[in-house]
Amino acid sequence: MAKELRQIAIYGKGGIGKSTTTQNLTAGLVERGNHVMVVGCDPKADSTRLLLGGLHQKTVLDTLRDQGEDEIELDAILKEGFMGTKCVESGGPEPGVGCAGRGIITSIGLLERLGAYTEDLDYVFYDVLGDVVCGGFAMPIREGKAKEIYIVASGEMMALYAANNISKGIARYARQGGVRLGGIICNSRNVDREAELVRAFAKELGTQMIHFVPRDNDVQRAEIRKKTVIQHFPQSRQADEYRALAEKIEQNDMFVIPKPMTQERLEEILFEYGLMENVEADYRI
Amino acid sequence: MAGLIEQERYTCAIGALQTVVAIPRAVPILHSGPGCGVMIKGFFERSAGYAGGETAPCTNFSEKEVVFGGTDRLRNIIKNTYKVLDTDLQVVVTGCTAGIVGDDVASVTDEFLYEEDRPIVHVETSGFKSNNYVSHSAVVNAIIDQYVSRFEQENPSRSEKNLVNVIASIPYQDQFWKGNLKEYKRLLEGLGLKVNILFGPHSGGVKEWQTIPKANFNVFVSPWYGEPIVKNLQRRYGQPYYKFGYLPIGANETTKFLNGVVDFALEQGAEIDEKKARAFIAEEEKAYYEELDNLATFLLEFRYGLPSYVHILHDAGYVTGLTKFLLHETGLVPKEQFIVDNIPAKYQAQVAADIKETSDKREIPVYFDPDAGAMQDIIRGLKHKGRGLILGSGWDKELAAEINADFLSIACPTPYRIVLTTNYVGYTGGLRVIEDIYNTALATYK
Repeated sequence: MAKELRQIAIYGKGGIGKSTTTQNLTAGLVERGNHVMVVGCDPKADSTRLLLGGLHQKTVLDTLRDQGEDEIELDAILKEGFMGTKCVESGGPEPGVGCAGRGIITSIGLLERLGAYTEDLDYVFYDVLGDVVCGGFAMPIREGKAKEIYIVASGEMMALYAANNISKGIARYARQGGVRLGGIICNSRNVDREAELVRAFAKELGTQMIHFVPRDNDVQRAEIRKKTVIQHFPQSRQADEYRALAEKIEQNDMFVIPKPMTQERLEEILFEYGLMENVEADYRI
Repeated sequence: MAGLIEQERYTCAIGALQTVVAIPRAVPILHSGPGCGVMIKGFFERSAGYAGGETAPCTNFSEKEVVFGGTDRLRNIIKNTYKVLDTDLQVVVTGCTAGIVGDDVASVTDEFLYEEDRPIVHVETSGFKSNNYVSHSAVVNAIIDQYVSRFEQENPSRSEKNLVNVIASIPYQDQFWKGNLKEYKRLLEGLGLKVNILFGPHSGGVKEWQTIPKANFNVFVSPWYGEPIVKNLQRRYGQPYYKFGYLPIGANETTKFLNGVVDFALEQGAEIDEKKARAFIAEEEKAYYEELDNLATFLLEFRYGLPSYVHILHDAGYVTGLTKFLLHETGLVPKEQFIVDNIPAKYQAQVAADIKETSDKREIPVYFDPDAGAMQDIIRGLKHKGRGLILGSGWDKELAAEINADFLSIACPTPYRIVLTTNYVGYTGGLRVIEDIYNTALATYK
């Protein structure tokens, strides 16, 4: 039997660490012998920097703009990074002009036509900008594309608001197709009782906190050197955290249609885990 | 890339809704603004078919759908289409705005496909993506991939040795499509083959489409448009294709075309009687030349009444086919020729070679440019001896009057001619071209 390709989309609030997590997770998966392609769906085109050891020079849309659709060759836009990872950046228009959402639709369509989805692949990751703001940013989770979604969040309030909102988008597409939420990846910001809060939040959504990635400056140090933690500090504790995340994702069998909560319920959970009180407590000190 | 094109002789991608209209009992559903269908109807003048052009079901996409997404509206239109139209296949074609806002059309059509087992297909035909020469293939391939593929079990690939699919005229864009397809079918059946002609009243409609995989091979008559279809069929069903790169018009080229098909069919193991097939070709030729014999005295005497040179403005298939026919079978001399179908650069060399090969004595300059207005300007600047003949679209009528040339309308848009079942391909098509050209000249006599 042919192995099944797992297509995974990673969403989460802007700046929460989606790209960093995706790339370190990818490094963990390739170490385990998987073939992985990472498709950056962010106009900033920085989703593959750590795997490639520098910014991808040729985004799909830049190439499309320069050469036109007929002339594009797959080699021009698909670069090999850490341990043979395939890296593509969708790219986008310049800030403030054009339509980035349409850009993503165009790039993914082009990748399919050019035959980027080869049979040897085990995983394709779509690292998507921030939120599911419009139809274009939902492209990776449409019918026939990513069936699994992970949301990167932390114990910070806004990250959880965003995660809840993204869940609304997932629930919508899940009703129509096969897309499911695989879990919340907690990228720690060292907030009080963070793991408990995120776990409770995940449970309320009907999903799981699949892994708690602790905050560690090794991530920043590796990032400055344009590398994943696994590549730069292979022996470090943080590298093992990402390896653990990779293993959990590989073995995950909990895929759900999320049950997004109301604003009130979300705030209740935040109160329950003391986030609000702790803010006041800080003032007293 | 940037710049204005005057007199585009084709439509934007959504014009391929007419490809759906041409399949008996299939209906297009437009997920687009209301103007798209009107524009298509305008371009094809009076002939846009039943539930074609602006009479096709349409979501009338407006600001509300842009902001909130148009999928709910699309779902409604599909439901309502089922209430009022009894059809065998529904094809949702999308316009620019639906494409830009990223409506997930597939998920809506899938609801009808999986929950109600409806024969429904979707295809993106945003105008900014391509034109109807290109999107015709996208529509046909969408139907093959999403609909025909559901009947593969009952129709095993290449299981019928004598069956062929014909990929040739683009319905409506080729104004002679009905007649041409009918003639291809008649000729190929004459060779002993069974033919899926796919479009028009002589096709078996949606049922015939289901048998596409069974064909032994495909007959592809086109310089470039439609190529993605034969490639898709080759990939999906392993069907090879016989390519004839221009329209076979008149005896020389039709005989060449048909003999080529016979050779190819035999190579592919078709069970046809070669002797009978070649005899059919000879018989058809004989009937053709009999008409020329009949007219021989008139043709000789009228030779000074005919125009002495021709310019054609059309797609690559017509320009090449007519150039060969006119020079060798009517004695009209093709001068500068204009290919205005926006043919991609990679196919141009082959077309240029086909035209060059027409004569080793005369050079026939060819221009490849979708800007037909600019091509008209080139014609205005040319000086040739004698009276000219322009074969082009209705837009060339004034140009012909300006340069005192005869004019025959053979391309879209076609405001000055009604075409019903006329064909220009084949032996009978060649005779029809002769009729039309002579009648044009005779009509100038007072």
